Order: sequence, then C-alpha cells, then structure tokens
Amino acid sequence: MTDDELDERIRGAARGYNAPPETPREEMWARIAEARRAHASTPTGPAPATPSDARVIPLRRWRLVGLAAAAAAILAVGVGIGRVSTDPQVSSWVAPSTKGAAYRVAAQEHLGQSEAFLTLFRASVRRDGDYRLAAASARQLLATNRLLLDSPAAVDRKTRLLLEDLELVLAEIAQLSPHSRAEDLKLIRDGIEHGDVMPRLRTAVPAGSAPTQGVL
Amino acid sequence: MAEVRDPYAPEPVSDAELIDRVLAGDPGAERALYDAHVDRVFRLVYRMAGDLDRAQDWVQETFIRAFEKLGDFRGESALSTWLCSIAMSVSLNGLRKVKRFREREVALDDALPVGFTPREADPDLKTRLAQAIEDLPEGYRAVFVMHDVEGFTHEEIGRALGVQPGTSKAQLFRARAKLRQALADFAGDRNG
Repeated sequence: MTDDELDERIRGAARGYNAPPETPREEMWARIAEARRAHASTPTGPAPATPSDARVIPLRRWRLVGLAAAAAAILAVGVGIGRVSTDPQVSSWVAPSTKGAAYRVAAQEHLGQSEAFLTLFRASVRRDGDYRLAAASARQLLATNRLLLDSPAAVDRKTRLLLEDLELVLAEIAQLSPHSRAEDLKLIRDGIEHGDVMPRLRTAVPAGSAPTQGVL
Repeated sequence: MAEVRDPYAPEPVSDAELIDRVLAGDPGAERALYDAHVDRVFRLVYRMAGDLDRAQDWVQETFIRAFEKLGDFRGESALSTWLCSIAMSVSLNGLRKVKRFREREVALDDALPVGFTPREADPDLKTRLAQAIEDLPEGYRAVFVMHDVEGFTHEEIGRALGVQPGTSKAQLFRARAKLRQALADFAGDRNG
C-alpha cells in the first residue's frame, strides 16, 4: 500500500473518529443561561452553588485555582532562578502591581529558560545525548508553559502563540525515551525550525536577560 | 404594527445585527446567536473531547466566554471562526487538564512513546487510528481533526488557531506522517 493509499484509508476512517451525537442544544443552553444569570447577578465573587449550575461553578473555580497556581509558579520561577532578590534591575520588574505586568515577567523568565534549554537540546541531539534528562527538563518547562497558557492574564496574542508553539516542541521532547527513533528527533527539530521558535524566543527575551542555569 | 416573530424560527438577521443586540443586553439575541452556531461548535468540540459530558462542559464554557468577550470581536474573521477559535482554546486547555490528571496516575516515563501502538492492540483500522490520533501532539491533532475530519480549510484553521495557513499545512503534513508511521504495520498487513 502506498503512502497516498494509506492516507486515503486513514482519511476515510477518520471521519468516524469521535463521531458526534445530535447536539444537546437545550440542555447546554439551560446551563449557559443559568451561568449568564449568575454572572449578571454576582458581578464580583463566585456565584452561589445551586443544583442547576453545579457544572458551571466548578469551571469558575477552576479559573481561580488556575490563577493561584499560576501565581505560585510565577513566584517559583522567579525565586528558583535567584533573580528576584539578587538583581536590582530585575527586582524592579517584579514590583508592578498589575497582574498583567507580573505575568509578563514570569513569561519572559520562562521564555528565557526555554531558549537556553532548546539551545542545549539541539546541541545534545547533534552529540547523540541522553534524552532522559532532556525529557525531564522539558516536563518541568512544560508545566510552567501550561500554567502561563492557562493564566487569565495571558492576553498578549504574540506571547500566547509563541507559548503554544513552544508547548508543542516541549511536549514532544518530554515524551522522548530510550526507545525513541530518529524520526521523532527529526520531527522535533522540524518543529523548532518550521515554527521559527528559536528566533521568536530570542526576540521575546531581551539580550542578556536569558537565564542559563536552572534548566539543565 | 410590530411583527410577531416565532422565537424558534431561524434568525433572519446577520451576525453583526445579532452581536449588536447581544451587546445591548437582549437575551433573545444570545439564544439566536447560540442556535446559529452551536451545531458546528459542538461537532468540533466533541471530536476533540470524545466524551459527551466533557464536550457539553466545553461548549458551555465556549459560549460563556464568547458572550463575555463579544465586545472585543472586531469582525476580522467570521463569527463562526471566532467561536471555533474560542472552542479550540477551551478544548485544548481542557485536554491539558485531562492529561495532567491522567499523568498523576501514570508516570510519563512509563507511558508509551509518541505514535507507538502495540501491534497486537487491535487489528481494526478505526480503533488503531483513534488511538494514533489521541497520541498526536495536540497541535497536530487539532489541525488533523479540523481539516481531515471536520473539513475546515487551512485559512479557517489558521484564523481559529492563530497560526499561518502554511503552519497549518505543515502540521497536517506532519500529523499524517505520524499517523502513517503509527499504522505502518497495518498497511503491511494489507499488502499481505
């Protein structure tokens, strides 16, 4: 079977992938309307839990939990690389009172770490390095990347797109194992090259601010 | 005399008019906007979720977010595309949370590598394919589902996912390559 023939068979079979049932529009609308009413009546603070909005409230709480987790990660990133208390120039960044400014600081630190990691990773691929360490490091970065992506403060479209492309690359590296094949590495390299991830990381991180420790 | 309109009849108004009415606080317009777009959003979200409860939660979240952010919609893309972009964002975030939850139970080091499916897992192409699609990196999976399963164009995918159409094409190419790789033994079996 040729690649084209296999592609055709795959496309045919894929039409049945997670085939959706009939849209439960009334059921969903009831919950949406309830959530809208709750939102309108309680503009600040969480909405009261009632049986009918039991599925809506957890989503709201997820956002608060995500915000708290993101704040913890931001602090961990800042403290973990020893920059908050030691570099007066950086300390002045961390001072801003707005959530958006704190997010930008955390994102920049993360992007700097990611740039350093990917640079080392590309070098290790050329040296046929040990991918278990790279996978472990990628998982750490992936966790921070996801917190940043999930944060309600993630409103900067350019940074968000970069984080999404970065996530793809980090997720692939995180899944490397001693059984991984050359094809997997090639796909990761292609992912870094095709998305211009490295140039975009360098652009996003001011010269001289990229951390080189704490990742590997 | 004011015309009496059947609330369940198809809305004759444009998306732009509906948006204006929603922003003016007309709850009937919210319902009309929902009715006009929910089928496409639900199909897409269900394809990503593969689970009815989860899909309903994510569609609900999509429309709640959409109504909250409707004032930011600039009309640079079709409203349906904008809604699909929110739906994909909600779905991908949801899938990440599901994945994180699962990772607490199964260490990543013990998980199967990307695209690898045990040869003896299931001889049925659809079952094997479903697993291979689940194993795709989420960006590839999103593009594959949108293009090859739901029939979105690369331009629509680009606008919905915030990437260039060329990136969408490249990711589709790589998704197909990964699927071919995952199903290579199946192709071999068919050859004899």
